[in-house]
Amino acid sequence: MPTVTIDEKPYRADVGETILEVAQRNGIWIPTLCHHQALEPYAACRICVVEIDRGGWWQVVTSCNYPIRRALTVRVNSERAIRARRGVMELLLARCPESPQLRRLANRMGVEGTPYPHIAAAQENCILCNLCVRVCSERIGASAISMVGRGGDRTVATPFRMSSEDCIGCGACAAVCPVGTIDLIFHEDEVEISPFETRVTLRRCAECGRPVGSELVNEVLASRGGPTLVEMLAGDAYCLRCKRKKLAERLTAAVPGNGSGRAAQERSLPGGTNVQTGLHAGNPRSIRVGEAG
Amino acid sequence: MSTVATGLKTANDLEQYRRHLLGERDPRAHRVRVCVGTGCTAKGAKGVLELFNRTAEEAANDGVIVETKCTGCHGFCERGPIVVVDPGNIFYHGVKREDVPEIWRESLTGGRIVERLLYKDETTGQVAKTPDEIPFYKAQHRIVLAYNGVIDPTKIEEYVAVGGYAALAKVLTSMEPKEVIDEITNSGLRGRGGGGFLTGRKWRSARDAQSEPRYVIANGDEGDPGAFMDRSLMEGAPHSVIEGMIIGAYAIDSSQGFVYVRNEYPLAVQHLSTAIAQARELGLLGYDILGSGFDFDIRINRGSGAFVCGESTALMASLEGRVGEPRAKYIHTVESGLHEKPSLLNNVETWANVPQIILKGADWFASLGTEKSKGTKVFSLVGKVKNTGLVEVPMGMTLRQIIYDIGGGIRDDKAFKAVQTGGPSGGCIPARYLDEQVDFDRLTELGSMMGSGGMIVMDEDTCIVNFAKYFVGFLKDESCGKCTPCREGIAQMLHILEGIAKGEGKDGDIERLEQLGTLMEDTALCALGKTAANPVLSTIRYFRAEYEEHIREKRCPAKECPGLFNYEINRDVCTGCGLCAKKCPVEAITGERKKPHAIDQQKCTNCGTCFDACPFSAVVKV
Ligand SMILES: Cc1cc2nc3c(=O)[nH]c(=O)nc-3n(C[C@H](O)[C@H](O)[C@H](O)COP(=O)(O)O)c2cc1C
Ligand code: SF4
Ligand code: FES
Repeated sequence: MPTVTIDEKPYRADVGETILEVAQRNGIWIPTLCHHQALEPYAACRICVVEIDRGGWWQVVTSCNYPIRRALTVRVNSERAIRARRGVMELLLARCPESPQLRRLANRMGVEGTPYPHIAAAQENCILCNLCVRVCSERIGASAISMVGRGGDRTVATPFRMSSEDCIGCGACAAVCPVGTIDLIFHEDEVEISPFETRVTLRRCAECGRPVGSELVNEVLASRGGPTLVEMLAGDAYCLRCKRKKLAERLTAAVPGNGSGRAAQERSLPGGTNVQTGLHAGNPRSIRVGEAG
Repeated sequence: MSTVATGLKTANDLEQYRRHLLGERDPRAHRVRVCVGTGCTAKGAKGVLELFNRTAEEAANDGVIVETKCTGCHGFCERGPIVVVDPGNIFYHGVKREDVPEIWRESLTGGRIVERLLYKDETTGQVAKTPDEIPFYKAQHRIVLAYNGVIDPTKIEEYVAVGGYAALAKVLTSMEPKEVIDEITNSGLRGRGGGGFLTGRKWRSARDAQSEPRYVIANGDEGDPGAFMDRSLMEGAPHSVIEGMIIGAYAIDSSQGFVYVRNEYPLAVQHLSTAIAQARELGLLGYDILGSGFDFDIRINRGSGAFVCGESTALMASLEGRVGEPRAKYIHTVESGLHEKPSLLNNVETWANVPQIILKGADWFASLGTEKSKGTKVFSLVGKVKNTGLVEVPMGMTLRQIIYDIGGGIRDDKAFKAVQTGGPSGGCIPARYLDEQVDFDRLTELGSMMGSGGMIVMDEDTCIVNFAKYFVGFLKDESCGKCTPCREGIAQMLHILEGIAKGEGKDGDIERLEQLGTLMEDTALCALGKTAANPVLSTIRYFRAEYEEHIREKRCPAKECPGLFNYEINRDVCTGCGLCAKKCPVEAITGERKKPHAIDQQKCTNCGTCFDACPFSAVVKV
């Protein structure tokens, strides 16, 4: 078990772990943007850089994908590492001045603003972290979007920039976007993945009319042999909230004076799978679709 | 001309075949060699060749035997089409179809010389008959380019006849793989593709890598603007590259090789394909090469046309059929490259050096060059020099020798300002270092690099800001856009440089450029981004005052940046023809007919129309 020394404190690490994993496990904060623990490292945003001792010189490396092979000495909060991370953030702020999420992260890093002007880019307010593309291909298996173009022309797009036939409307891309650029727009009976102009049939709650999920997600889950969204929602065409309400009503009716929350929980998520389609929240840590059963 | 052998079974067969080929040769044969490299072809070499061929066919009926043959690039493309006549090695340049009958009559069959087509030195007026008498060639030392212009690259017999594949035979019959690696290591050969990494050490790492299969790859992506050394090699001596690769494959125990060729090089692809097919037929590629039990074959892949595809991980991604983008991985491609297998990538020129080292020995190679940079290097000498072209010189030659002795000095006898070495991510070196030796380490110390061997010469009229801007603009278009520092950093750099060149520079711009440079060097994902600031940083290092003049005084001393200098009319030269006044879009020029005119600086927008229009060069930049 190699020892990783971070800012002069030793930590135990496994061979193959990344610097970021060791740091996170030990409560050391390193900002990340293009990284997601459910996805392969991509190391493109460069916001997570740290310094490592190369015997006589210090090399700046990205912590999210630098693998521990043997004992390693790391500086997370050296002047150079901090300057490098802030420098990258300043460049990103110039690109995406309007993202509150990005500004929040900048603040946390001690970056107040950017000295650089906003230069028009092919895709405004996108940091090109590629998380959406990767979640769509690596986790969802749909590969509905990809990076197209080079340099400043680089954008995330569907093939030929037309409504994608591969998109199943799961919304994972929106959930995983760290700067809030991808929006789900709910139309009467369709959900639109906003920058990609893709529309997919929408299933709404039979009770309250709130969006439940896209029809295609159902089909895809079924075709993979796992429980479908409808099954996961206990066979009803209700949204989670209405279903819980109904269950509670049933339980209260059956056992007067005793509304047990435990029974409700057990039935609502068979197989212990946490399906977060992205329709509900933007917590990137909960993308688990496709891992069921 | 000769019988083509098939399926050589042993090294001895190869030697027999070579003797046979030589035996067929008539040393006194009358022969005309026409360069059909890309440069000469663009200037009409194919027509010249065709006419020689036709004339030769007709003459053959009358019993006059003249051999015509096409060769690869001689390196002196600007003087093309180039035609060489044997016996005598008479070098004719700028040959047109109309000249063919005269060359035929006088030189090929008459034994005389066509004076007007010989090379004449501009300054001394001396006429050169053979290449060795031409200053451009005199100081060169050609090892990898030795066959260019001499043999027909589409005929394996020609390569075999001059000793081709003898190094391979030697390796297969008398050397252990480890000995091959030692030989390359001892020669001190360093990679010609950019980084100058020790080739032998790379081979050893590839051999030591645990996993299998192993791959051997030649990098022929050559995306530097103005560079064409690798193209000329692949076109003019494809078998040297292939032979080097087979030897490398034997050394690291690989059975599959790839040549990755830039898409814009159709002739290189064609010649390599022909060469590979011929080598296969001869038993030099494929199963059981020369009866040694060693199997190896090569496939050609055409690049996707991006500069960044020359970067090792991007190249391998592209070979795998994925988007040619660099991969962020802290594991070297010799351990995990193509298909995550050990992959030995070398530049085309690096490979072409290998057979020579094996044949002549590591000591011979190490005797050329400087302490840590051995052998020769091919440079593509372009820009404001009199003679542009491909030059191969021993490492350690001074910049002055290359630019003045070989390049003939600066065009129009202007003053030398700087030379950019190492391509778009290299740096520029000013006049005070002209006597520095050119080798890997010295160029790096000077803030530039060897790169793949681009050399662009600037004269006094070149604005340094504009020059840096050109390269940054190139890199902006070529950045893959994957990582933040390169994509955004280059765009910001270009924005600042454009401001400076427009007279909108501010105090602090230079420092901002320097900061961006450090940031990109520290944090970019691949070497493109890490070195993208070099042209800017090196020009700031040596020409800071010129940047400051642009920023503070809004003046461009080289008078290249529009708006940062004025146009005036020289009263002594102006004839008062009135052409400029007629053309000026803002009516800033006034004057009586036949009297000197004048420009109203208040009205003038510095568009330069009058400068271009004046037939007497009376409009001057001040
Ligand atoms: C942006 C970029 C472009 C490159 N282009 C080339 C190229 O066109 N040809 C080449 O041989 N090496 C190129 N390289 C260098 C290669 O990555 C690699 O180092 C080289 O091919 C290794 O061969 P060598 O050891 O023989 O030099 C490039 C590197 C970068 C970063
Ligand atoms: S440094 Fe430039 S070329 Fe290299 S990965 Fe980053 S964006 Fe792409
Ligand atoms: S989080 Fe490491 S490079 Fe983006």
